[in-house]
Amino acid sequence: MSSISRIKAIFIKETQDIKTNSNVILMFIIPILLTLIYKYMIQGMPEGLAVTFGLLFLAVMIGMYVPSMIIAEEKEKKTLQVLLLSPAKPVEVFIGKGLLTFISIIVFGILLVAIEGNMWDKLPVVLLALILVSIPCIFIGMIVGMLAQNQMATGGIGFPIYMLFLMLPLLTVVNEGNFLARIASVLPTFHFTQILYKVFFSEYTFENLYIHFLAIIASCIVIFGLLYVVYRKKGLEQ
Amino acid sequence: MIQVEDLHKSYGDKAALQGITFDVNEGEIFGFLGPNGAGKTTTLKILTGQLLPSSGKATVMNENTYNNSRLSRHIGVVPENTNLYERLTVEQNLQFFCRLYECDTRNIDYFLEQVQMLDEKKTVVKKLSKGLKQRVLLIRALLHNPKVLFLDEPTSGLDPASADRIHKLIAHLNSQGVTVFLTSHNMEEVDKLCNRVAFIDKGKIVEMGKPADLKLKYARGNAKVLLFGPDDEIVEEYIDLQGIESARKLSKWIEEGRIKSIHSNEPTLADIFVEVTGRELS
Repeated sequence: MSSISRIKAIFIKETQDIKTNSNVILMFIIPILLTLIYKYMIQGMPEGLAVTFGLLFLAVMIGMYVPSMIIAEEKEKKTLQVLLLSPAKPVEVFIGKGLLTFISIIVFGILLVAIEGNMWDKLPVVLLALILVSIPCIFIGMIVGMLAQNQMATGGIGFPIYMLFLMLPLLTVVNEGNFLARIASVLPTFHFTQILYKVFFSEYTFENLYIHFLAIIASCIVIFGLLYVVYRKKGLEQ
Repeated sequence: MIQVEDLHKSYGDKAALQGITFDVNEGEIFGFLGPNGAGKTTTLKILTGQLLPSSGKATVMNENTYNNSRLSRHIGVVPENTNLYERLTVEQNLQFFCRLYECDTRNIDYFLEQVQMLDEKKTVVKKLSKGLKQRVLLIRALLHNPKVLFLDEPTSGLDPASADRIHKLIAHLNSQGVTVFLTSHNMEEVDKLCNRVAFIDKGKIVEMGKPADLKLKYARGNAKVLLFGPDDEIVEEYIDLQGIESARKLSKWIEEGRIKSIHSNEPTLADIFVEVTGRELS
């Protein structure tokens, strides 16, 4: 029996389950609405800003919120207990659960770029940045899910974190040098926003983007380490 | 099939298990009885590999139980709480576990038919009654044809008809060679199903044996006789089962045609539990 087939089983189950989970569905709709509102309802919005907000919201709120809710719900309803009694290993459970969020972020990311229009030439860079930033975001969502006792508790633990990762990059996007920006620069979402800003609003080159990609990759490693520590201390089920 | 030797488990200062020892033979239905908080679920969690004991040994099919992925393919667990995916249908729930265990999906229809739930296959789980959910839990534990089945209070909160269906299925599985470890505080259930039982109280096994043997061991040695009184009212009398005096009394009552019925007055498992521990089961 292969890990792949167990991960596939968890992925299929998550896909079936999410279709009727109104909390999560709503969260998928928000970045689309947000992009549409900024694009078509706010006068004088510079081209590319609507999709920047949408993509950042997508990475943070879908990337973090969905896995945290999925894990916390399984803990709350004790379904995780029986999943861990099966041949599925914890790492397969993590991958199976994270995969749906990961794929959803990519699909919705393409949709948001489509809504913005005239940006298809920038899609490869945007997509690469989105793929990379979604990984630490999903890890953080999993950490929140492990720390929370139930779905309600994910809000208390998660929202301050989500806001930090969402708002700080937006507040500092045009002011790279100030104090807040220096704090924000440890966040992968800050570098993601910088990439989007440079791609959509200026001439971008490999030289002015690679440092941000490296920073996101470094944050993937650090946050994965944090996920591992929390897993060792708390486990999936406690 | 299951061996437990001097098993201890503590949560901080609180000792949940204080050196329990027992074994379960292949093909047996073994009842593990005790009030809430006695240590039943802790024992079951250790045996199913969810908890690491503080000390002692717990093996199932000669394998250590904790975190043993080899074992997960040979055991089925029905937990006390109804932990199904409520938004999915019965079929989707069962298909998920079939995929995880890579077992034949035809088992789903077979078992649903066994518990007369084939018509509910496409029903969303949250719309099912507790009795039906309990049957789905049992099927989920059976899909991969386990050799040992662990049942934690399988009929808790069910109506008698639903409980009876579960009992019949357990008996049927056992007749096909499945070893069953059953925790319960329902003495009638245990009496009906189990080959052997162990009583656990405050983390210690206080009595163990076949239900019939335990009843003989703790028999009161008397019989209850219901007699017609002078005004045809029913009078309760107890007579010893030994001695000439009892024989004379009984003979006299029979001659007078006063006997309505005679009861053996053997203790129930609940009575024995009270006698052994000094407290009620629930």
